[in-house]
Amino acid sequence: MSIMEYNGGSVIAMVGKDCVAIASDLRLGNQALGISSNFQKIFPVTDRIYLGLPGLATDVTTLREVFRFRVNMYTIKEEREIEPETFAHLVSSTLYERRFGPYFIEPVMAGLSKVATGGFKPFIAATDLIGCLNFAKDFVVAGTASSKLYGAAEGLWEPDLEPEQLFETISQTMLNAVDRDAYSGWGVVVHVIEKDKITTRTLKGRMD
Amino acid sequence: MNSLANRFSTTGPINELRRAKSVLEDDEFTDSAWGSEAGFGSLAKGVPNFTVPSVPDPSAFLRLHTDDYADPSCRIKIQHGTTTLAFRFQGGVIVAVDSRATAGSYVASGTVKKVIEINPYLLGTMAGGAADCQYWETYLGIHCRLHELRNHERISVSAASKYLSNLVYSYKGMGLSMGTMICGWDKTGPAVFYVDSDGTRLKGDIFSVGSGSTFAYGVLDQGYRWDLTDEEAQELGRRSIYAAGHRDAFSGNTCNLYHVKEDGWKFIGNYDISKLHYDGPGETPGAGYGYDVRVERSAAIAVQA
Amino acid sequence: MIVSKIRQCVHIAAISNRHNNLTVVEKLGRTTIFSPEGKHFEYAMEAISHAGTVLGVLAKDGVVLAAEKKVTGKLLDLSGAKEGGYGGSGEKIFLLNSNVIGGVAGLTADANSLINYARSAAQQHLLAYNEDIPVELLAQRLCDMKQSYTQYGGLRPFGASLLYAGYDQQYQFQLYHSDPSGNYSGWKATCIGANNGTAQSLLKQEYKDDIEVKAAISLVLKTMSKTMDSTTLGSEKLEFAVITLDPETKLPKAKIYRPDEIDELLQAEGLGKKEEDDAMKS
Repeated sequence: MSIMEYNGGSVIAMVGKDCVAIASDLRLGNQALGISSNFQKIFPVTDRIYLGLPGLATDVTTLREVFRFRVNMYTIKEEREIEPETFAHLVSSTLYERRFGPYFIEPVMAGLSKVATGGFKPFIAATDLIGCLNFAKDFVVAGTASSKLYGAAEGLWEPDLEPEQLFETISQTMLNAVDRDAYSGWGVVVHVIEKDKITTRTLKGRMD
Repeated sequence: MNSLANRFSTTGPINELRRAKSVLEDDEFTDSAWGSEAGFGSLAKGVPNFTVPSVPDPSAFLRLHTDDYADPSCRIKIQHGTTTLAFRFQGGVIVAVDSRATAGSYVASGTVKKVIEINPYLLGTMAGGAADCQYWETYLGIHCRLHELRNHERISVSAASKYLSNLVYSYKGMGLSMGTMICGWDKTGPAVFYVDSDGTRLKGDIFSVGSGSTFAYGVLDQGYRWDLTDEEAQELGRRSIYAAGHRDAFSGNTCNLYHVKEDGWKFIGNYDISKLHYDGPGETPGAGYGYDVRVERSAAIAVQA
Repeated sequence: MIVSKIRQCVHIAAISNRHNNLTVVEKLGRTTIFSPEGKHFEYAMEAISHAGTVLGVLAKDGVVLAAEKKVTGKLLDLSGAKEGGYGGSGEKIFLLNSNVIGGVAGLTADANSLINYARSAAQQHLLAYNEDIPVELLAQRLCDMKQSYTQYGGLRPFGASLLYAGYDQQYQFQLYHSDPSGNYSGWKATCIGANNGTAQSLLKQEYKDDIEVKAAISLVLKTMSKTMDSTTLGSEKLEFAVITLDPETKLPKAKIYRPDEIDELLQAEGLGKKEEDDAMKS
């Protein structure tokens, strides 16, 4: 029994044209027993950065609160919002602090970073449980269904998808991948982040 | 009755085969030449005879490679995880099963047939090792037919289940994994027997087997009565499998529902468990079993009222 | 013998309070004995009494803070303050948490250290209890720390006083004042820094119990104009902040005014600079 599989759950983030999307399942289980079909694993860090935390549920809550602490301190001292790249490094260093007793989480981040000209660039990143960063250009996955998510995303993703198309792509990837994983599922939530709005949708998935 | 003759006679088909084999003992011919295992050619010797690896302890060797608990990264993943149930009532026996097969956390299939149709009036369920269940229950079917032929009457559920249970008992400790319910309708009425690979054989009214059995029992126990109507009983079986498929990570996909009556079993239907959650068994959408769906339905009714 | 030694040290210390590197031990002997005159704090209080005024007034629907800046000048780079996120120039008024604003008077470096500590304390409370720290509790945390600097050896007290203006669900709007000794008290209106006596008596006369925020703002600005050194109020010398409750979300809203917003406010109150003053300045 692996600790990373104890509660179950998966997250994926994808890049589109001037937008990013991040999605997760909603299951919280105790090994085989499903307990909650409403367990949030994706949290807003700022208006333009979302953080997904798949893995051990207690660490999901704790890390969410630890990052809130650190980002609040950053914001209040810097008097500005943290940028996605900086936040990714904050995540990495926070996890490495626990190198020899790690949090059992593999974070996934999605956001829009400011460009000098005034526009925004899509940004996604993921780390392993001790903070190794992965800045991908297409998609990042994590959780118990990660191998299935890789397969589905690799098949469905293409560059420069508009927000609506990106929503469809990430939804289909998520729904079909979690149906092949016993520990993920029980509903899916998708956030599509554009420069001036964020759309959150809950999908009707298989409830078994 | 034939065993004495088989053992001590010097003529007859078995002895001819034996002599032929000993003549041709060289390795040009393997056992499979005498009829493939699948075709039960091995029956020629009386009981199935399996080749085992030539290691000192074959069952330990098997356990080494298949035991999930000891070593999650073992090479051969036996597909566990299931929910099966059967209960008897005034109208016969209801048998309901899910259709998911998992290997570790991977959902290998969602379309497994876990009810084995032994013969037109006997059903067996599958839990544990799929191959073990399929093979031995089909084998049981052969012996049930032989019994019919020899005794001019249908085998009782009790006898059939005892045959199976004695059979698996002879393989006890060798790694068979089977938790099955033999269901049928015989002279004594509807009957359900639970048989497993430890050698347990139990007669009872309600059984549920598998990783999701506890969830199914919850619904089954609170809804069960002897005098359920046919529809109510079918609904109870379906609803119990839904409950297990919903909560248990290793059960789900679809529910196969059978009803055994005096004249034999009838396949009632295949129900998608997720569809049962949102829309229920009938055609009307929104009549689902799921908690959120039911709450919304009540709220909508309350608003109307 | 000891008494005369103390008198000598007092003489030296009083001349150059801010710049010597001697620890309190070297100056006054052991810090773990009570000094009858409370000399440890006197020097701290001295420093504070020369610092820019900070004024706070509690209204029934908000708290108002205003402060006089001492560090001014044409060459000061205040571009951050103009567009910055939280307003203020980072000299007197600081955001401590989403529900508390702090105003400082005294040694700037000591004040910054206290502000940092306050911000960490507020976040630690959030981490532990998932709620915004109650205002009094934040004041207590800081005071507990300040007190330990007066009792445990080798350290001098922080040379800064703070005003805490905040909101919590339990006691709604509150205003606290803490000093280097680690003492704190809750106030309806108070003042720290230079001319605080004058300001305090002014407030005592004018303050009404169920004052509203708008009236409190006027009161604060009027009092500031009477106690500040300069003849007219302007955004280069004034920092201003208000904490109220957002009517929809019912959450505290802390606003530290940016320089242009301060000027607007002053104009609205009729205390802004006239054009002739501008022309005369250069």
